[in-house]
Amino acid sequence: MPVRVAESSAPSQLSGSNCGQTSPPACSLLSVGQAFSGTQNVSSLQKDEAWRVNVRIQGCDLEHGYLCGTMEALNVPMADTPVVTFWEGEIVDTKNYTFFTGKWEATPEDDIRHWTKFPSFSALQSHVEVDGGKSLDLSNYQYIFMRWKEQYFVNVGTDCGLTIAGFYYVCFSCSDGSINGFYYDPNSSPFQKLELKSTNEGRQGFSFSSYELR
Amino acid sequence: MIYQSKLAPKCDFLQEKNMEFLLSLLNSENENVTGLGASIILHSCESTAEQKALCHAGVVKKLISLLEGSLSQRDNSLESLATVMKNNVEAVSEFVGSESGRALSSVIGLTKDRYPRTRLLASMCLIVIRNTSACYLQDIGIKTKLVHLLLELHDDPGQVGDEAPFAFSSLISEKPDLQKLAFEANAIDKLYNHLQKSQLCPKRFQGILLALADLCSKLESCRSRFLSLQALNLVSDALTHDSSDVRTAACMCLRCVSRSIKNLCAGNFLNEMIVPPLVRLLDDPSTSVQVAAISVLGNIAVDFTMRRSLFVQCGGVKQLVQLSKSMDSTVRLNALWALRNLMFLADNVCKEGIFMEFTASSLASVICDPEPFVQEQALALIRNLVDGCIKSVELVFTEDGMILDAVRRQLQNASTDEIWIQGMYVLSNVASGTEFHKEAVMHQLIPQEDNGTQSFILKFLQSHESQLRTAAVWAIVNLTFPSSPGSFSRLVKLHSAGIVSQIKSMVNDPCPDVKLRVRTALGQFTTFGDCST
Repeated sequence: MPVRVAESSAPSQLSGSNCGQTSPPACSLLSVGQAFSGTQNVSSLQKDEAWRVNVRIQGCDLEHGYLCGTMEALNVPMADTPVVTFWEGEIVDTKNYTFFTGKWEATPEDDIRHWTKFPSFSALQSHVEVDGGKSLDLSNYQYIFMRWKEQYFVNVGTDCGLTIAGFYYVCFSCSDGSINGFYYDPNSSPFQKLELKSTNEGRQGFSFSSYELR
Repeated sequence: MIYQSKLAPKCDFLQEKNMEFLLSLLNSENENVTGLGASIILHSCESTAEQKALCHAGVVKKLISLLEGSLSQRDNSLESLATVMKNNVEAVSEFVGSESGRALSSVIGLTKDRYPRTRLLASMCLIVIRNTSACYLQDIGIKTKLVHLLLELHDDPGQVGDEAPFAFSSLISEKPDLQKLAFEANAIDKLYNHLQKSQLCPKRFQGILLALADLCSKLESCRSRFLSLQALNLVSDALTHDSSDVRTAACMCLRCVSRSIKNLCAGNFLNEMIVPPLVRLLDDPSTSVQVAAISVLGNIAVDFTMRRSLFVQCGGVKQLVQLSKSMDSTVRLNALWALRNLMFLADNVCKEGIFMEFTASSLASVICDPEPFVQEQALALIRNLVDGCIKSVELVFTEDGMILDAVRRQLQNASTDEIWIQGMYVLSNVASGTEFHKEAVMHQLIPQEDNGTQSFILKFLQSHESQLRTAAVWAIVNLTFPSSPGSFSRLVKLHSAGIVSQIKSMVNDPCPDVKLRVRTALGQFTTFGDCST
């Protein structure tokens, strides 16, 4: 979701992702077509504010640790319509990606500072501090950690006064499909919290669709 | 010369006298005669048995010796070696091991020959070796050299330039590492520059389009570069080319580029420039063009910007529905697959449009198509139909629920996991609807008369295929959804049918996803108390 610019800065550092043998659990609640809704807290020192957010998974390639989708912000004050962005995600599977971001102006310290906001990360922290978690086997872990980076605005121009410069640290619960995230952008308010729940879209249960590209 | 004609009779190498004749030609001192021998190999060697017979007769050794001969002998030898080694591990191994690797070094050396045709044939020979036995020619240096050489040979104005894109395609096809090297060698830009030239002969045009297709088949970086060059305009123009080979190649190129979810989400393909000419190709007299056009439409149907009405406006849905009833099973399969993608997250108007065009009875009959892979796509289409807006579930209840009956018949009678998974998701999605929908699914799952027949869902819950177990458990989760008034009575019936105890036994399922869904189901069961008492 796009956010407004705020004051702050952080140095950048490069680090790499690596090779390992594990992959995250294939979770049906994180498959293409699944929808989530909730809020992103965009409060600043001046005022408390939260935007309603809808997310839809549009693509998923677990082998390459890739996920993508759209994010719709509903009550953005300066926009006439809901603002839709397209994002791409890196799944922390310790094979394609580790907990260390290595780009987007995020240092390992920034990474740890954000990941530790998720209670489910505490069991992994000591390993992650050593090497980004390369040695961890997350294939049976009930949580999937990801980074979501917005790539472009789908329905408004880049001159809309909003920025998508940052990215989200995301933790997905395989058990109930809930998503928690923290937006990170050195130039925006820190720790803007994203909270989403799996939606049934008016149904008495869960529904699953699929497509296939050839 | 006679063997340069495709109409020339084939020589049966499996007959001893023919093989003796061929060897006598290859052993000749006269280069025209050895050239004739090589032409016969090129023209007639088609099967693995023939390749093996040639190897056993010592043809590979003879061809290697001709590499030292005159220009025409060298070229003939390179071409014949490629023919004998193609997909023939034994021949490749004999060649590579021959003279302590000198034969291979000699071919590598010929990639630097002064004659473009020799360079092309030497590189084609190396590509055959690499494609047949992936363990050879893994060195990054030789791979990079081949990429650069073949791109350079595209500049040749004659036959070499016409054949170079095909050789380039076979080098990079299905190999992301080579596609990356090609990308770094600026291949997209170079091919695009060739594409811009007017008066391209159909063969060269086709080759360049296929090379671009292979380049864009896996790597997003290639697709992005392709799109940034506006190459899409040139390729969409090629959809109306006189040559059916060029039209097919243009479709294949578009198909590979349209695998980009990032660009599908941006709506970069579903537009007036691409969709109408593609829909017109659905009427093409050539089946290969038709199938290639459907494949592109299938990909670009997964457009997330909700501009799918364009499909309907230019008659795309009507055509695809017609083609899904074709006598040709490949056409049926592709048409259903495209409609399945078009149905993915479609709004209710679009879904109803497709449904009305299809009709319930036709849908029921494609579910029971004689071909299993067609059945699977038909069920995947129904699965998407009953997803999303709850109103769409009603569609499968028209005409006395004949679609649901067809789904049940497939779940009972089909024999592949893929069909069962799609069918089970149809029932699971319907079971996420209203009370009426849930009861209808119960009716399909649990036979009315207690004639001792076991419900198919028990078999699926015990399957070795975790995705099938997942789909089956989701159906149970939906049937016992806590806020639904009829859930308790359904739970009692599921218990009587032995399904509840089966679910309980899966609490430590080896698949994490199944285990979590089982726990969701068990959590729901406990909200009703223990129904077994």
